[in-house]
Amino acid sequence: MAETYTFTAKDLKEIEKITAKYPDKLSAVLPALWYAQDKFGHSDPSVQQLVAKTLGVPEAHIRGVVSFYTQFYEKPMGRNVLDVCTCLSCQVSGGYDMLHYIEEKLGIKAGETTPDGEFSVQSVECLGACGYAPMLQVTNDKFVNHLTREKVDKLIEDLRAGKKPDFESNPMPQHEKGS
Amino acid sequence: MPEIYIDNKRYEFEKPGKVLQFMLDKGLDLPFFCYHPSLSIPANCRQCVVKAGMPVFDREKKVFEIDDEGNRVIRYFPKLMTACSLDLADGLVIHTHETDELVKEAQADNLEFILINHPLDCPICDQAGECPLQILTYKYGPEGSRFEHKKVHKPKAIQLGPRVILDAERCINCTRCVRFTDEISKTYQLTIISRGDKNYPTTANGREFDDPYSLNTVDICPVGALTSADFRFKARVWEMNQTPSVDITNGKGCSTWLWTRDNLVLRVTPRFNEAVNDHWMPDAGRLAYRKFNENRISRPHLRPDDAGQVRTSWNNAQLTLQEELEKVTADEILVIGSPHASVEDNYALRTYFGNLGVSRFRFLPHTEPGTGDGFLISDDQAPNTNGVKGLGFDEIDEKSLIKLIETGKPKIIAILDDDLLGRTALTEEHLASSWMIVWGTNHNDTTRAANLVVPVTTAAEHAASYVNVDGRIQRTVPAKETLYTNRRLNLEMSMGRLDHYGTKFDNWVSDANRIDCIPAWEFFTRMKSDSDTIAWESSRQIMEDIAGTFPVFREVSYDRMDEENGIQLKLEQDSEVKPA
Ligand code: SF4
Ligand code: FES
Repeated sequence: MAETYTFTAKDLKEIEKITAKYPDKLSAVLPALWYAQDKFGHSDPSVQQLVAKTLGVPEAHIRGVVSFYTQFYEKPMGRNVLDVCTCLSCQVSGGYDMLHYIEEKLGIKAGETTPDGEFSVQSVECLGACGYAPMLQVTNDKFVNHLTREKVDKLIEDLRAGKKPDFESNPMPQHEKGS
Repeated sequence: MPEIYIDNKRYEFEKPGKVLQFMLDKGLDLPFFCYHPSLSIPANCRQCVVKAGMPVFDREKKVFEIDDEGNRVIRYFPKLMTACSLDLADGLVIHTHETDELVKEAQADNLEFILINHPLDCPICDQAGECPLQILTYKYGPEGSRFEHKKVHKPKAIQLGPRVILDAERCINCTRCVRFTDEISKTYQLTIISRGDKNYPTTANGREFDDPYSLNTVDICPVGALTSADFRFKARVWEMNQTPSVDITNGKGCSTWLWTRDNLVLRVTPRFNEAVNDHWMPDAGRLAYRKFNENRISRPHLRPDDAGQVRTSWNNAQLTLQEELEKVTADEILVIGSPHASVEDNYALRTYFGNLGVSRFRFLPHTEPGTGDGFLISDDQAPNTNGVKGLGFDEIDEKSLIKLIETGKPKIIAILDDDLLGRTALTEEHLASSWMIVWGTNHNDTTRAANLVVPVTTAAEHAASYVNVDGRIQRTVPAKETLYTNRRLNLEMSMGRLDHYGTKFDNWVSDANRIDCIPAWEFFTRMKSDSDTIAWESSRQIMEDIAGTFPVFREVSYDRMDEENGIQLKLEQDSEVKPA
């Protein structure tokens, strides 16, 4: 496995700042991995190796962490990653319908990336937005809630055009004034 | 003294500890998987749950609250607690499955969960018969499963490393293997990947599980997820005999079990010994099974002329040595003891030649500097260096040995089991003018160059003692029959199920694997001798002789070694050694 990725002096300084915050190296694994994934776009085995070496923690441990979270990408992904929730609440509100619609629309299966490198789709577990089911998350960032086919069509069109979704405020009924 | 009540019985405890370990020490039964006395406690399998509570103490009146029936009022934890991680505390009350229905149900339900994705392939699994999951399911498990869906499939027969194979579907994710590499061998090679029902242990991407202690994970895996590449599919555990022994491939001398079937050693596993190896042993020591089984010398071999060796009778071997000895004087004989042979055999060698007037007793230590790791692998490649030393053999280095042979030109060289030609620069040319006798276990360069080869027993076939690098003397027990020993007659040998009930029509019973060899000491008792110091009948008797002769071995006896799992010798007494 060739090490094709490296950290620059500036990166190393940033990572040092991260490690300085914690009493031991293992605690810095998550933020350091975020830093690496932001930089390289994924956390494939060679990135894992680089992070392990930089932090001085066992490589096996990094693999354990990366493979635990769907938010860390074990292989290079498309420019936009659609994490469609298929956990219980979304499932009963049509999460799989949404997933299959997206799969059909993009011509790929969950876990795959479109040939043009624009989209990857993943089926993920609960993202903590059960109240707005069915939902998906775009590239570890904004949630798109109350999914419908129309909403999905628009989202994909926007993303193709380079437009990221806006933050949607979804007040819970008990918080809505006057109700 | 602080007290604890388990199933309404009172126990006292002295030292702080955990409830599960306390119960195990007391011989009480509680099912568990992830707990291991030598590893950290993650409490992740949840099999060891108990109901636990503390007596209610009235702080104002400074007394325990008492109920109407005069018993202490107990305030129980709201949920069941894991006994493996629960500290002993004065007054603690524990209820196990014996006295609490909820605990009983919880144990069965937990097993039902653990078994949901388990393949239940016991009939083809190596672990069957010694599998905690199998045993505990019989004892505590539910009658059946209510799970009607497809099981989750995971990788099978993955070669994790050169010696360990993983079946991820069988894994119950107890993390014992991961904790072993993190806490004991410190190679940090394993981790659990993914999550939920998909997780299983593996290495970092593209890395091999080549930890020099990797096979210990196979021993501690409570299911058949990790199996030994060497032993896989070789035998069912209930067909084998299990005999206590000592690792003879390394100076550390880990306590071991030898597992035999039909007089072949099929695997070597560590035997718990707090003073030496705890629960562990290096992978290299487990390879000794090949030395016990393969390439063995059977029947004496004689080289009548330069043409090569032929097999000969024991009688002829004895007469030949007698004849050769009569041709020379005592100072023309060089006797080389062996750190690879036992204390008893070295002593017999020394006594026999000492009676003939020989005074030159040498031995060449077998160390490879830099190969040790400060844990269970020592630089010393031989199991008995301190033993030979303690018997008064003079340590000599390779150069001096070759010089001694080149310049001294001994007429007879007697070598006890040690492949000197194989492991040193000594060559056949050096030995050209000498007549050489070798007592050997396996064919090697030295035995091939010998004029007379006497086949002797290995540590798997005799009862004999070895002194490890730290000066601890431990002994072996015969595990494998030779042509002349018999399991039914030698009460020390273990009898397995097959030995008791097998007939010659059983698949696994033959006599093919019995080697024609005897312990080296026995050969000397057969030689004609003027002295009566050589009338031993067993190695146990020899040890009594040794204990009476050499201060270092004072108070050593087989009984003590058995009872105390070996005896620590005071090696500094070395200097006081008086010659036999
Ligand atoms: S492989 Fe065995 S020891 Fe390792 S986590 Fe699985 S069950 Fe436990
Ligand atoms: S032994 Fe596994 S939780 Fe206690």
